[in-house]
Amino acid sequence: MTTTPANVEVSAAAAAPTRPPLGARLRGRQNQNLWFWVFVGPFVLGLIIFIYIPILWSIYLSFFESYNTVTPTKFVGIGNYLDMLKDESFRSSLGTFIVFALFIVPTTFALSLLTAILVARTRVMQAFFRSVFFLPTACSYVVAALIWKMSIFSGVRSGAANALLGLIGLDSIPWLSVTKPPWYWLVIVSARLWLQVGFYMILFLAALQRISPTLYEAAAIDGASAWQSFRYITLPQLRPTSAAVLLLLLINAFQAFDEFYNILSSFGTYPPYARPPLVYLYYVALGQGQDFGHGSAGAVILTLVILIAALVFNRFFSFRGDD
Amino acid sequence: MAVVNTSRSAKIGSLLRYSALILAAALFLAPFYLLFRNALMSEADLGSPRWHWLPPTWEWGNFSAIFNDPALPMTRSLVNSILISIFQTLGVLIISGLAGYGLARIPYRWSNAVFYLITATLLIPAAVTFVPSFVLVSSLGWISTLRGLIIPGLFQALATFLFRQFFLSFPKEIEEAAFLDGLGYWGTFWRVVVPNSMGFAAAIGTITFIGAWNAFLWPLVIGREQTTWTVQIALSTFLTAQSVNLSQLFAAALVAIAPLLLMFLFLQRWIVEGVERTGMGGD
Amino acid sequence: MSDKTIRAGIDRRHLLTLGGGMAVAGALAACGGNTGRSSSTSAAGSGSGSGSASGGGAKVTLQQWYHQYGEAGTQQAVEGYAKAYTAADVKVTWKPGDYDQTTAASLLTAGGPDVFEYGNGPTIDMIKGGQVVDLSGLLGDAESDFNPAMVKRMTYDGKLWAIPQVVDMQLLVYRKSLLEKAGVTPPETIDDLMAAAKKLTSGDVKGLFLGNDGGVGLMGAPMLFSAGADYLNEDGSFGFDSDGAAAALGKLRELFTSDSLLLGAPKDWYDASALTSGLTAMQFTGLWTFPDLTKGLADDYGCIPWPAMPGGAKSVVVGAYGSCVSAKSTNVDAAKEFVKWLWVDQTDKQLDFATAYGFHIPARASLVPQAKTLQSGPAKDAAAYAQEFGHAQSSVLWTPKCATAFGDMMSKIVKDGADVKAEIAKVKAVAEAEVKRVLG
Repeated sequence: MTTTPANVEVSAAAAAPTRPPLGARLRGRQNQNLWFWVFVGPFVLGLIIFIYIPILWSIYLSFFESYNTVTPTKFVGIGNYLDMLKDESFRSSLGTFIVFALFIVPTTFALSLLTAILVARTRVMQAFFRSVFFLPTACSYVVAALIWKMSIFSGVRSGAANALLGLIGLDSIPWLSVTKPPWYWLVIVSARLWLQVGFYMILFLAALQRISPTLYEAAAIDGASAWQSFRYITLPQLRPTSAAVLLLLLINAFQAFDEFYNILSSFGTYPPYARPPLVYLYYVALGQGQDFGHGSAGAVILTLVILIAALVFNRFFSFRGDD
Repeated sequence: MAVVNTSRSAKIGSLLRYSALILAAALFLAPFYLLFRNALMSEADLGSPRWHWLPPTWEWGNFSAIFNDPALPMTRSLVNSILISIFQTLGVLIISGLAGYGLARIPYRWSNAVFYLITATLLIPAAVTFVPSFVLVSSLGWISTLRGLIIPGLFQALATFLFRQFFLSFPKEIEEAAFLDGLGYWGTFWRVVVPNSMGFAAAIGTITFIGAWNAFLWPLVIGREQTTWTVQIALSTFLTAQSVNLSQLFAAALVAIAPLLLMFLFLQRWIVEGVERTGMGGD
Repeated sequence: MSDKTIRAGIDRRHLLTLGGGMAVAGALAACGGNTGRSSSTSAAGSGSGSGSASGGGAKVTLQQWYHQYGEAGTQQAVEGYAKAYTAADVKVTWKPGDYDQTTAASLLTAGGPDVFEYGNGPTIDMIKGGQVVDLSGLLGDAESDFNPAMVKRMTYDGKLWAIPQVVDMQLLVYRKSLLEKAGVTPPETIDDLMAAAKKLTSGDVKGLFLGNDGGVGLMGAPMLFSAGADYLNEDGSFGFDSDGAAAALGKLRELFTSDSLLLGAPKDWYDASALTSGLTAMQFTGLWTFPDLTKGLADDYGCIPWPAMPGGAKSVVVGAYGSCVSAKSTNVDAAKEFVKWLWVDQTDKQLDFATAYGFHIPARASLVPQAKTLQSGPAKDAAAYAQEFGHAQSSVLWTPKCATAFGDMMSKIVKDGADVKAEIAKVKAVAEAEVKRVLG
């Protein structure tokens, strides 16, 4: 818990002789309600204006026929919801994203943890490896998609992947042009891993380095194997970090948009495969379609699905951050 | 005997570990190599069907071309991106830092309810509420202004969530001491909590900065005049040109990510150490 | 594909971003922060009243939007045209990025443009939603001079909703020398084309390039046209539930699996480089690549219309950006005046716009003979094809939802080898519901 007593003492001492900056009414810990809103109020106010009002507006729109307008007049009840649930494309997009989440969340988690453990155990050039894995976090999805699409997975020999295949005498593969086999998943997943693994690695690395070495020393004295000390010391100690990482990954997977859109869409259309719900809704509501009624209804359905997933997740990991 | 075995297996383990790390590092660096290579290739070589390890001709002119194009205010866009990213980062740190502390430390009957209202927004796909958000900002008269680009991005539920988690694990004894010394919530926060949270703030700040720098959709919509373009928008102009000049596109992409790469290289150590030192992370 | 402009490829690029987004009007320098949703109150502040600006002292300010044309000089040109107009103060906004999306959304607000261009005219929902104003009568005596296919495309319910600016087209381009070497003549029918593609394929050089997706996005419409079908019939009924159309779409699947298509080129079909760098022998592309083709291949290229299926017809796909006036404009009359001035009266500017920067066909037939770029070589052939085989890209009633369903169908047929007739039936269900909604 108290890892930096020295630091804190210094700050506390420096802070001690000051008087409360606001009036007596606000002094000390009285008026907690007021203080709560002084701290939380600005954020909540902004949240209401820039997030809640648009969300409520969207829910309102979902009950109306609203083509090319955000102030619709024709109420259609739950008609838009029924349409979306009947829409085969929307249903298949929900299926796509569940499969995608089931795959990408554990994969990113495992690879981040693995790189973190490898880097943590490394004495020589640790900073170098850490930087290398962290660096892609700075790259935008647009730029990554550009590199992946044009330079790694292009369908001809000038692409890195096909150049490698050429070295061992294999034919070029049009990675993004065929659906059988679905090579496009390789493109999307590799781009996403490259962009994300480094960030979560840093979180794990920080957590790993907080584990007290005495725990491992004690385990070694008891004759624990490497696997045992990982299983019974490292993993439990990483539990809070793991929960946070999983939650972040889950939210990210649900909201997948950028790399799918940037890699697979062409000329204002998007293929019916590997189409996450957000991409589908984008074309319904924000694309040329401008069908805000159905788009909003789909968004509400998607939100409910995410909510359910989060609740299920919450049953396995309590991340309420108790004290 | 046993000792020898352990040290040999340790050696093999270490060898394996380094091999894995070096291979992974090469894979992670390859895209950057491609970006650099492409940015320095000539258009003809880039469009050719053959693989090139290095540019057959080094086309340094790609960089001057993107800065000298009168239709493309690259310099101005970089300045805008820097301004927006800095203001947004500072704003998020202050607003979310305060909110996170309030939620974590000030007892209030509805505190949990407020917290759930905040985290619930994490689940709403932003792209879907985009149209109403846009109409809202437009009715505030914030189109083509820096405030329209900055202010709506100041309220990040994720940052508040993370700050709250962080402050929950902040050693309570220190704050107790500050209270005993007569500091209220405000004073405790600024004089005791903040100075001991710089590392964590740096981490959040970095995430926010990256997000602000790489944002595309919002700047495209709000910054409709060239004077409010960000560097991502400038990048997109290359993508929309009728005959795409791929090598210039890659050069522009390199310019667009260079500031972040540099920032990372310089700040990274500090960020990571900050997370380690003060991010007690709930354990 | 479908309800896109012929140059959709250029304007709406995949990498483009996370999202098209939507944007609002240009400049508004005079109005400052006036982007409020109720425009009536701010009209007075933003300049004079409406209508004829000649009488008063203050001139009306008009916002005009263009998507970003790639050719150097185009932006300066349109700004020059705007400056030359004296009856109003026209401010040009040059929109990078996903133009259609940004423009469509901005029409929801008062911050949108007064005058804007849109691919093949406004969408049916813009017309039905009252977002654009009727431009009937602006063409005047010149009406018969405008490209009839495009005027028809921009007309709905007997009213004209946009004025065609320049005509663009897509056609099949081939390298003469490669065809000669393989002993292949330019194909007349789809079967010829498939045989030729096979013969021209050797190793990493492929016979035909229809886009990196194998023609899924690009070739649906030309294939329908080649079978004598269309998206919708004249009366709005579904246009391609015939055996001929099904056979034509099935041919694309055959091509896709024949190993003679180029897939995954560094630059897609809208760029000349697949042909000039020797990745393919034939390519379906746009007229706008001709300057690059000439630069790369000199006279070693020719062009032909997309071949026909048995019982069908050859075609070249034509499309045009149309100039529209927003109904939210506070100066509708002044905006209409300006559109008429620029796109009907000022023939010299129209010619300049079509030929001086890029490579387009003037929308007015009488200007084509004056276009120096179209007087020789493959470009001359192309201009002739536009007259003879020109087929508008899509129908005004073909809504974005129909286009999405059509795109899904194309992908499933071509890439997955799905049953053609079953897929067509799915699109038919969507399209019939949409047409009913739009007309209802």
